[in-house]
Amino acid sequence: MNFPRGEGSRKIAVVKARALHTFAQMFRLSVFAAVFLVASVLQAAPVAKSLVRIEATSQDPNYRAPWNPGEVGSGVGAGFIISGNRIMTNAHVVSNSRFLTVSKEGDPKPYAARVLHIAHDCDLALLTVDDPAFFRGTAALDFGGIPEIESTVSVYGYPIGGSRLSVTRGIVSRIDFQPYSHSGMDSHLTIQIDAAINPGNSGGPVLQDGKVVGVAFQGYSGDVAQNVGYMIPTPVVRRFLKDVEDGQYDRYVDLAVSYHSLFNPAARAALGLTDEDSGVVVGSVYGGGSSEGIVLPGDVLLKIDGLRIASDGTIEMEGKSVELAEVVERKFKGDKVELEALREGKLIKLNVPLDRPWPFTLHSNAYNEKPRFVLFGGLVFQPVDENFMSALSPDDLRLRYTFDFFVDDKLYVDRPEIVVLSGILADPINAYSGDSRFGIVDEINSKKIRSLEDVATAFAEPSEYYVIQMLGAGRPIVLERKAVDAARERILSRYGVSREQNLLK
Amino acid sequence: MISRLALLALILIPVSAFSGTTPIAKPTPPARPSNVSVVRVNSTIQAYDFFRPWTKKNPFSRRGLGVLIEGGKVLVTAELVGNHTYVELEKAATAEKSTAVVERVDYESNLAIVRPADPAFLDGMKPLPLDSGARVGDRASVLQLEANGEIAETPGTLTSITLAGYPMDNMGLLVFRLSAPLQQRDGSFTLPAVREGRLLGLLMRYDARSQTADIIPPAVILHFLADPGSGKDARFPRAGLAFAPTRDPQLRRYLGLTQPGGVYVSDVLPGGSAKKAGITQGDVILAVNGHPIDQDGNYDDKEFGRIGFSHITNTASYPGDIATFKIFRKGDVIEVPVTLEAKDQKTALSESFVMDEAPKYVILGGLVFLELSRAFLQEWGGDWVKEAPQRLVYHDAFQQEFPADRGKVVFLSQVLPSPDSVGYERLENLIVRKLNGREIKSLADLSEAAKHPIDGFQKIEFEEDPGQIFLDAGSIEKNSQRLQSEYALPALQRL
Repeated sequence: MNFPRGEGSRKIAVVKARALHTFAQMFRLSVFAAVFLVASVLQAAPVAKSLVRIEATSQDPNYRAPWNPGEVGSGVGAGFIISGNRIMTNAHVVSNSRFLTVSKEGDPKPYAARVLHIAHDCDLALLTVDDPAFFRGTAALDFGGIPEIESTVSVYGYPIGGSRLSVTRGIVSRIDFQPYSHSGMDSHLTIQIDAAINPGNSGGPVLQDGKVVGVAFQGYSGDVAQNVGYMIPTPVVRRFLKDVEDGQYDRYVDLAVSYHSLFNPAARAALGLTDEDSGVVVGSVYGGGSSEGIVLPGDVLLKIDGLRIASDGTIEMEGKSVELAEVVERKFKGDKVELEALREGKLIKLNVPLDRPWPFTLHSNAYNEKPRFVLFGGLVFQPVDENFMSALSPDDLRLRYTFDFFVDDKLYVDRPEIVVLSGILADPINAYSGDSRFGIVDEINSKKIRSLEDVATAFAEPSEYYVIQMLGAGRPIVLERKAVDAARERILSRYGVSREQNLLK
Repeated sequence: MISRLALLALILIPVSAFSGTTPIAKPTPPARPSNVSVVRVNSTIQAYDFFRPWTKKNPFSRRGLGVLIEGGKVLVTAELVGNHTYVELEKAATAEKSTAVVERVDYESNLAIVRPADPAFLDGMKPLPLDSGARVGDRASVLQLEANGEIAETPGTLTSITLAGYPMDNMGLLVFRLSAPLQQRDGSFTLPAVREGRLLGLLMRYDARSQTADIIPPAVILHFLADPGSGKDARFPRAGLAFAPTRDPQLRRYLGLTQPGGVYVSDVLPGGSAKKAGITQGDVILAVNGHPIDQDGNYDDKEFGRIGFSHITNTASYPGDIATFKIFRKGDVIEVPVTLEAKDQKTALSESFVMDEAPKYVILGGLVFLELSRAFLQEWGGDWVKEAPQRLVYHDAFQQEFPADRGKVVFLSQVLPSPDSVGYERLENLIVRKLNGREIKSLADLSEAAKHPIDGFQKIEFEEDPGQIFLDAGSIEKNSQRLQSEYALPALQRL
């Protein structure tokens, strides 16, 4: 389930339990941690055959100098062996990885591993090791169901970087929808437990009665909340495993609508509802999503796949009250969902083919992508997405509005991609362009810019002048072809630029 | 909900000029300016609370020094008396007090005229003549008062004469910059500056780190005073355009601009003077009233040296005057007469300031509706540009890009939970498009449309999610008295 970015959408400050980034400073602590872990190791002996320690060398992209490869870092996470000689872990443990090794508890040898499948929208990944020796003597773990509230679970992993297995124990505190901070845009069913989950626990199994009931993945930092850890429950894990059965991961499908609870008696009466507690009203239907052209704003959704929708947007499913989106959560690309709705007082049935994921990726953290850019006359043009915004944090008011309200205010209709002048490699030919930094490129030589490709195309066309007009007031930037040509080598060598454009992710 | 801390910081404990403090021994400079031209101005200020527009915030007081000018007028900054509930004058030497009335106030130029209720109060005082001919490098001094009523004079040097944004509407008007190490004495920096016994201007802000005072110069004061007999509209007109420098040789060659100087018109405001005169984006302004404009938009002024050309249109001219723009347009040079008009704050999409008047509001079944203004956004505190709701900030910041007939932005500010607003408690800062099918371009529109419910429902349509909501018109009527008494609302609307 996704929410648009704007003011009204949900924002929760979940701090990611991300071993990759915090490992360096946490490593010193692990010396102390080891002292307390000894007892646990003995107790946890059976699971030791399934647990693996993952060491990832990663390289993050460089959005400030997009032609440069980014910085290399390393981190530690946990994983566990499942059927088919596969290792399950979190997507964030192996994201942007360049080299992966895994080691077994009690075996010092690191084995080279590779990613089979990675699902950034639910923070899960599958790895394998090509050396058959690795799986000798190991045991694959099986999955269980959703543990009961207040029941006890055990969390295994390598918190704060230690090299020996650690176990913590906690009870199941809450089961509900939560944002998954790895992508920052997706929410799925999540189980909250009161065992501490720290960097290094990521990807580790959470066990109850010898079965995996969850994958530890995120927690709050200590200054937000204490003893709050989150694990990915088995419905999400099983969905991921089923999705990749055909050899590729298709992402979650999404209705791509916003809906609102219907508590107000006047609203209920005005919309033609006669009972007291059913139905939610659709606020927006997002362009490019599964429901576009089928569901309309103002429709009152009464049933989803035959399940009655309460006025707070929940349904009864397997004896539990869950968000209506849970029906869609469990479906796959190509499935259908049947809605019963009230439209202008008439009862109608709607069939929504779930053929598309949430149509907007610009607000999600993206991984394993190369920054896209075009360099022309020392001016750097880049499309705007979450990675770009968090790397450069521009203050420009128009850019911030356009980014934040891209989905809410349907700005994508006019401009499917926001392209900005993101940087200026100072040279005499662009000496007067500084005021336009972070301006949104509206037109080049009177051609509307709707994507980075449009920028590349505009500059590839021969012309005496290139006139770049930014959105809103301001003078155009004018570059003369012959001046750009004369400056080209000078700029490339002075700034060590290895390539002038990259249009592919 | 954050109140305006900047203002609260200025609360002072009133201290009588004859309080028991021992006078501090100080060297007596030979020729002290006399205190017969300055008067303390104590004002009690109470602004409206835009989060609860039916109430006022706590009152606080500000003190400054006014200066007596010809005609029995005391000149102060508008900021000193903006949103005042009470103003009094206090004589420096005797601490004698008189109630005062604010005769005229202009927030764009940050100036106001105050008069004592009792004209005899000014007996024995001497008006200060306005200075002229000040040059960069001249010495001048800022006047403050000691506790005993004597003048404390801080000398300084006039370091620059330039156009700078004035506090209220950020209008670019002439400013004298004086470098002087001032102490904070009177609670505000509304203080007179003098040069050779004449009024150089009024301080409107002081930066303690750089020890720089911004002074409202005589040219702006004269415009503000505009001889009443002349029949002139004393407001400050605007050309209504934005421009960019043409320093970039590539831009000049692209435009075919062979003449020296000139600025590129990057935007013309809808409904503004330039737009009405036919100036368009892409024009290059070469000269105004015969003064050649350089690549950065400056001209050579006889009196002030190189300053921005807006001075010609906004201070040297009055509304209704015609300024002649020499325009370079697609290879041709043409002369365009521009009839200058002042900005009508009332018709702005988002008013830059709302002073001395109560904000409008309409409450419908607990839903509080307001018209967007910068004063509302500034309730989010010093960092309001980032803290305030971004869609509203966007409408304020880029209001010149909306059609001239967009009208006011009416929005649902908050919801007072009531039986009628059940389920809507969390809605806030949503822009209203329609009520009962009628376009909403002002709170008056909203109030009128509310009289015409559809099938017994008030149907409110927003520009954004959740799209539309409904209220029970009959139930709102029935519950209105209770809502009003429970939340202690003086009225359910104020237009």
